This record gives sequence, C-alpha cells and structure tokens, in this order.
Amino acid sequence: MDPLLTLKEIIFHRNDFTLQIERLELRQGEIYLVHGPNGSGKSTLLHLLALLLTPSGGEICYNGVPVQGAQERQRLRRQITLVEQSPFLFNASVYQNLAFGLRLRDVRGDLQRRRITQALQAVGLEDFENRRAKELSGGETRRVALARAMVLRPQLLLLDEPTAGLDSESLPVFERCLSTLPDQGTTVVIASHDADQQRRLGGTSLYLDRGQLVPATAAPLSQWKENA
Amino acid sequence: MDFLIASLHAAVAMILALDPEVVHAVWASLFTSGISIMLAAVLGIPAGACLGLNRFTGRRAALTLLNTLMALPTVVVGLVVYGFLSRQGPLGAWGLLFTPAAMIIGQTVLATPIVANYTVAAVAGADPRIMSTALTLGAGRLLGTWQLLLEVRFGVMAAIVAGFGRVIAEVGVAMMLGGNIRNYTRTMTTAIALETSKGEFAFGLALGIVLLTVALVINLFLNLLQQK
Repeated sequence: MDPLLTLKEIIFHRNDFTLQIERLELRQGEIYLVHGPNGSGKSTLLHLLALLLTPSGGEICYNGVPVQGAQERQRLRRQITLVEQSPFLFNASVYQNLAFGLRLRDVRGDLQRRRITQALQAVGLEDFENRRAKELSGGETRRVALARAMVLRPQLLLLDEPTAGLDSESLPVFERCLSTLPDQGTTVVIASHDADQQRRLGGTSLYLDRGQLVPATAAPLSQWKENA
Repeated sequence: MDFLIASLHAAVAMILALDPEVVHAVWASLFTSGISIMLAAVLGIPAGACLGLNRFTGRRAALTLLNTLMALPTVVVGLVVYGFLSRQGPLGAWGLLFTPAAMIIGQTVLATPIVANYTVAAVAGADPRIMSTALTLGAGRLLGTWQLLLEVRFGVMAAIVAGFGRVIAEVGVAMMLGGNIRNYTRTMTTAIALETSKGEFAFGLALGIVLLTVALVINLFLNLLQQK
C-alpha cells in the first residue's frame, strides 16, 4: 500500500533558508511529531505538506500519485487541513466557522449540524455554537480551530505547535482528541517543542535541524529539550 | 444678515413643504449617485482586491495611477466622457449625452478609483492568516478572496461610502454630461449653482441644507464603520 504522502528530494528556498528533504513518507492513520529548534523549518515543512507552498525542486506524491498543477493541489487540499500555531477564526459565530469547510464539501442541513455538534463535543465546547469567535480565549480559539479541522475529517491533519501556551484545562482535552484520530484513519503531523508529547501521544518522531531531517538517533531527547 | 435669515426661513419652508423642484433635484442626485456607486463597487472592489493581494510587475505603477485618478478634477472627467458621448465622439450614436445615463457613466469613472483605493488599503491591512486559513479549509483563491473581503467588510463599506460622498457632492460631471435640464438631469449641486446665479438664493440654500444633511449622514456612517 502506498504511503498517504511522500516527499522525494524536496528543496524549498525562502530568503537565506533552505529546506531539503531527501525522502519522507507519511502512512495513513499514524501520528508524526516533528521536533527541532526555532527556525529549523518545522512550519515550512507543514506548509509544504499542506500543499500551500510549492517546492522549487523534488516531488510530492499523494497516495503514490505525483501532485501536479494548481487545480490538483486545490482538490487535494480538501483532504488535508492545517491548524496554524496561532489559528485564525473568521469574524463570525463558532458554528459558522465550523460550517465553512463543510459547505465547500457540500455537507449541509442536518448532517452538517450533527457533525459540528460532534466536533465541538470532542473538544469540550458543546455549548459554544453561537458564541462569537472573536470573544473566545486563546485556549478556546485553539480548540475551536481543532474542531474546525476535525469536522472536515481530513486524511491528513497538520498541527503547528498546537499545545504551546495551552492552559492546564485545554491540554488534556486537546491531546485526548488527537489520540483518537489515527483510529479514524487520519494521519496526524504535529510540529512541537514539547519533547514529552511523544510519550503521551505515541507515534514517530522526526527531527529537523537547519532545514534537514536528521535521524532520530542523532538527535537525542536531551537535545530536543535543550533546543525547545 | 436679515437677508440670510429670511433666506434660511424660506429654504426650511421649501424643504418642509416638499417643494417639487427640490424633491426632484434630491431624487436625481440620489438616483444617479446610487447607481454609479453600485457600478463603481462592482468594478472597484475586485480591482482593489486584486491589487491589494497580488504582487506583480507594474503593481506600483498601477497604485500610483489609482492615486492620481483619485484626485481627478470632476470637470476633467466630464470633459473626457463628453468627448466620448458627444455627437462626433465614438459613442455619440448611443445618444446618451445630457441624460442621467451619461451622468452615471461620468460619476462611475469618478468613484471607481476611490472605491478601488480604499479596498486596496482594507485588503493590504487584513490579517495575512485569513487567506491561508480559507485555503487550508478547502477554498480556492477566488473564494479565499471573497472570505477576505467579508472579513474586512467594514473597510469595504467605508470605500463605498467614501465614493458615494464624492459623487453626490460633485458638480462638474453632472453639469457637463447631464446639462442641468430641469426635472430631468438637474441634481442638487447643479441646481444650487444655477439658482444662486439667478438670484434664487433661498432655493439654493434649501438644496444646500439637504446636501449638507446627506454629507453629515455619510460621515457619521463612515465614522461608525471606522470604529468597528
């Protein structure tokens, strides 16, 4: 079976920074944690995986098929969702934020309402449907952003520093949600500074250093903690 | 001083009695300005969004041109459009000169750069995460732009209000392209110019009061939007 997403000999340049990935395979229903110091390219890697950036060299394959052309990228983006480090919620109600992606996928009516209710329950915000997004706290905003991504049931969910700065109430809710996703067939990639996250969530660790993936053995846990 | 007070009394009496000529001039102004601002919005908002969001060769020149067009004297717009619509002009066969349609064309030319420029400012100042959030939730560039415009809707409404303020208060285009024909193309501004020169100061003052009221309402609305 082909991996869900494969990066082959990827090169991406921006200003003085270069991200170079020899080969990276993401398998369906697994959790990957990307560690590395600030500026190592974690966010850039997530944006490449989200097909929001186009590499200057190399190939990205989705289910074994090379991704080519703007239309194909847009079509595949409906299978991939990225939650940014500091997520943006549209200036509307929580419900409308969650309905945005569903409407694009033609999920409407009762089904839409049911899925939104389920997603909000999963992040512990069941009574928040009618709350204005701009009135939420930082932790609530992140949980709504996670619910907005989960409600789409993407094949690949990318999270950039999802737990950084989360309060003690939100963190376990957040991680409990994430741990259920692989069983539903979702591949989860988390860029994180939290070296203990792998112990709590399991999954495969990747380590980025100055734009290159280095073997996990070459980047011991103590080094992550130093860099974090 | 007595002259001014007497004229003011007469003007207020005309407004309260809904003098047919005053009412028609007010209607002609609101009608032509209303239609032209709608057309300017249809042209100016997409142009402003395009210029505000994209980086391309010639963008700076386009922005400079837009800024220059914002300060275009109304009589120059009237002159150029007159050249096109006059009997010898390329569009002379349409027979539009000295009709409300000609005034609408001229006022649209006048308002479009204002609407576009304000939209550029609104879009350029928008949170950069809006577009990437829309894209990662499955939207294409076009829908992403629409979502962004919804997020900066108060800025876009300010653009429309500013354009409306410009066209309702202008004289040059209305005079040159409308011809100031009684009960047909006579607007508040052209009527003020004509009636005052004829010595009908009270009539001019009555229209002046209405015009000031419209300007006041527009500015109050604009202030309200800017505080949002």
